[in-house]
Amino acid sequence: MNWRNVKLIFLREVRDQLRDRRTLFMVAVLPLILYPVMGIGMLNMTVTFTEQTRTVLVVNAGDLPQPPLIASGRILERHFSSPADSEKIRVLTDAPEDEAALSPADARFLKEVRARLPRLEQLAALADEVRAAESASAPATAELKERLTSQQEELSGWFEQAPVQVLLIVPKNLRADVEAIHGRLAAGARDGEALELPSHPILLHNSADEKSAIAFRRVRQAVDAWEREVLRERLKLAGLPLSLPSPVQPVAIDLARTEKIAANIWSKLFPALLVIMSVTGAFYPAIDLGAGEKERGTMETLLISPATRHEIVTGKFLTVMLFSFSTALLNLASMGFTGQHMVALRAGTGAALGGMTLPTLTAVMWIILLAVPLAALFSALSLAFAMFARSTKEGQYYLTPLLMVAIGLMMFSMNPSVELTPFYSVMPVVGPALLLKALLLGTNLGSLAFSAVAVIASSLCYSVLALWWAIDQFQREDILFREAERFDMRLWLRHLLREKEAIPSFSEAAFCFVLILLLQFLSFNTMRDQFLAAQHDGRVLQLQMIYLLTTVATPALMMAVLLTRDPLRTLKLRGCHPKWLLAGLVLPLILQPLAIELLHQMRWFFPELPAGVEQTLKAMTNPGVPLWLALLAFAVAPAICEELAFRGFILSGLQRTQRYRLAAVMSSVAFGIVHMIPQQVFNATLLGLVLAALALRSGSLYPGVLFHLVFNGTQVLMARMPRDMTAESGLLDWVIRGTGEQMRFTPACLAVCAVLAVPLLMWLAFGPVARGWRDNYPAESGASAGEEATAVGA
Amino acid sequence: MDEQAPMIRVERLSKQFHDLRRGPVTALGEASFHVRPGEIFGLLGPNGAGKTTCLRILSTVLRPTSGRATVAGYDVATQAGEVRRRIGFMSGNTGIYDRMTAWELVEYYGRLYGIPEEPLRERLENIFRTLQMNEFRDMLGSKMSTGMKQKVSIARTIVHDPPVLIFDEPTSGLDILVARAVLETVDALRDQGKCIIFSTHIMREVEKLCDRIAIIHRGEILAQGGLAELVDRHAQPDIEELFFELIRRHDASSDAAATDSPPVPAADHSSRTTAARHTL
Repeated sequence: MNWRNVKLIFLREVRDQLRDRRTLFMVAVLPLILYPVMGIGMLNMTVTFTEQTRTVLVVNAGDLPQPPLIASGRILERHFSSPADSEKIRVLTDAPEDEAALSPADARFLKEVRARLPRLEQLAALADEVRAAESASAPATAELKERLTSQQEELSGWFEQAPVQVLLIVPKNLRADVEAIHGRLAAGARDGEALELPSHPILLHNSADEKSAIAFRRVRQAVDAWEREVLRERLKLAGLPLSLPSPVQPVAIDLARTEKIAANIWSKLFPALLVIMSVTGAFYPAIDLGAGEKERGTMETLLISPATRHEIVTGKFLTVMLFSFSTALLNLASMGFTGQHMVALRAGTGAALGGMTLPTLTAVMWIILLAVPLAALFSALSLAFAMFARSTKEGQYYLTPLLMVAIGLMMFSMNPSVELTPFYSVMPVVGPALLLKALLLGTNLGSLAFSAVAVIASSLCYSVLALWWAIDQFQREDILFREAERFDMRLWLRHLLREKEAIPSFSEAAFCFVLILLLQFLSFNTMRDQFLAAQHDGRVLQLQMIYLLTTVATPALMMAVLLTRDPLRTLKLRGCHPKWLLAGLVLPLILQPLAIELLHQMRWFFPELPAGVEQTLKAMTNPGVPLWLALLAFAVAPAICEELAFRGFILSGLQRTQRYRLAAVMSSVAFGIVHMIPQQVFNATLLGLVLAALALRSGSLYPGVLFHLVFNGTQVLMARMPRDMTAESGLLDWVIRGTGEQMRFTPACLAVCAVLAVPLLMWLAFGPVARGWRDNYPAESGASAGEEATAVGA
Repeated sequence: MDEQAPMIRVERLSKQFHDLRRGPVTALGEASFHVRPGEIFGLLGPNGAGKTTCLRILSTVLRPTSGRATVAGYDVATQAGEVRRRIGFMSGNTGIYDRMTAWELVEYYGRLYGIPEEPLRERLENIFRTLQMNEFRDMLGSKMSTGMKQKVSIARTIVHDPPVLIFDEPTSGLDILVARAVLETVDALRDQGKCIIFSTHIMREVEKLCDRIAIIHRGEILAQGGLAELVDRHAQPDIEELFFELIRRHDASSDAAATDSPPVPAADHSSRTTAARHTL
């Protein structure tokens, strides 16, 4: 690659974008203006917004015990934690002088309350009873609750129409009753009925109504504070210590520093904004550089220049990345400063919020560092989409899915309970977002060093993959010169069903995979419930088989029969040289110990297994299940169903591209993905590579089925192996150490396996593809010429 | 000039596409021809004949399905970089950038061809003077008229002084004055000893410019040779009649070969020719 050309293209593209008013607006002007404008808007809203006062009606206000709760239409300020709240509650009472001043609506309501007083008291008594029963955990509460609910329903319709938000009903003589109890306590009485109130005040509210809920929260807070004062009065009179109600009094000290409070907010906002802005910042320039250039007819001009396609894409990629990176950082900076300024303004008006310090310099450096892989990933992806699109309009359609996926991953990492684990650190988008979150929260870098390396390395890997995809798109004639042809649904369907080809196309293979995923997704909940509810392990195994048959084998078989002319060839149901069958028999035995050891070594990396899977795994080892059933469910069914789908239909379609290695990798990744659980995804992807190689080299499905059968079969057998067997037969001593769950293979055994496996896998990976496939679809270039010399007969 | 070795050699060059509607389509079938320096070779054919496909393969943008083509001794499939350095390509599809001035655009391509700064500046001054482009050298592409754009395209095509020039319908969609200027430039380039391929569907251009032509239809070369030689060989009054006669014969034979479509009535010859002339 000539970096001079890359630089030339990069500089030209940057200048071109900078001359484009739309790009400039998106990248620079919008973030610099948007946040301050939004800030001003919010400020205006908060200034003009004043909270409406809510009304509470107090019936029998005169009977409230001392100290005073209410004075001149307000609840006393000292009962609120924030004294200003007193202004927000208007108190109406039925005291004679107040009652005269009531508005007609309020007066009518007061009358209605008086009429309903007996029923309200009845309800209160019932509620009190339920409360008592619940605290004593008595069993007879169901019937009480039912009565309570029916009574509540009768009153709620009426209260919803009330002109007040909270109704406080004080029982007659409450004051006298409370003072009487004060007196008895002071006189030394310590127990008996006489120390309990005959009836309690009622706080009527409606939590379904936002206004009532807010008013109730305030009133409740004040009433509680007032009640504590009543209590102190009582303790003082009785000569008891004031600390009586809180015998332990733990002291809680909040050590949060103000900058940490800010960090908490930044740790939520910045990763989210970084992800979204990297996507949007990358997308619009990418569309212009990809589809736009195609549309304006300058693409061909560039293609015939001496710059190679690698250089062109790299130059364009670097441009897009620059814009993605600057958009993200400008947005963060603008939002950060606006946020800080806003908080400073509000702090000035008296609200106790504390200063919002900006993140430290180290944190800022980390933001910049992590913005690079994110920008790289999204730039390469956007560019690949943009290259694929015929026009800028088509290109715009691809933004939404990309943005949705990015936002989905980001939302996941914003969940407070999700923390950086080794597994998450290698996930795209999630890794950088979680790392940034941890860093902004001020987590010690030392403890994150490993994750940081993993996040950056994996992010760069994803970016390189995406870039490779973009370059690949750019090298394909059919994509570079895609004509804007009209899509005719009828014609397409007819073409699909009538003019079948011998084997599926690439897109049919991809669709088969998507169909399998969809079916699995649809059946996921049902199957999990069924698994968990399964009465016995035999049922679990049956379910497992049904699942495989319906979601994996059926789509592949149906599509092979419907869409191809030669289903047998598509599914590779044809004979092969016996040596392939031998390989299918021997390889799994050699690879099994290595796979188990690898998974064991990687255990720290993966999250815990979900419940449904444990259930299935337990069923596999349950000695109560007949061995043949276990083998059928875990070895025979997967071997047939999964091979038909992944090495049959899907691989046959993918290998039409003539890029066999790519086809093998793609089919095994697809095979991995349907296993859903991270451990199995990992395992299955690796095994999928071996299976795909077997299928490609032999041109037949049978060696793969045999491999799969033996591999899964030995797992079942090992899981069911009697625990003491190893102890009894010294023969296995050199193979296995430990027993049961702890069983591992000895280093000697692993070494032998590895020594055997390496040449076998090399032989498998570097040989030619089976003849029948190459003959019908001759390669475009002479690349496969060398392979033909050592072709293997079918 | 016959003693000179051909700059462009095309041997049994084929290209197949896959089309959803039509299945596999042969855009170019086993085309062979040679072009020497100082010669304008015309590719004459109706729209969709395979001219553009052929020229795109020569410019290394498309890869041939089979066959071989070399430019100045370099294979277009395996030595694409070397080929691209030695050709100038211009077509209706090679647009210019909207947000770049004429000078910047030609300079940019000059740099991509690796011309050092000082010679590049001299070359640009020279080209801008010859093509009379100085009055709009600092005008953005989006503000230019079609004629200006076409001049910029030509300047871009010849900035690296390539020995081989490929013009794919360079006059399509141009007004007559601009078209004439383009043709004069091409003629002048021939006189400089360039090896030129010129594709078109306009007979007059062929008659005026080309030394030798190939008539191409449905991906096949029906005839090739010097203008006078061809007219004589097929006993036709002029190149236009020759063109339609060849196409008529080819269509009639391929229609006869196809079993399900009715044969073309032979008596319809003259009216068909006139109809075809109108569509061209």
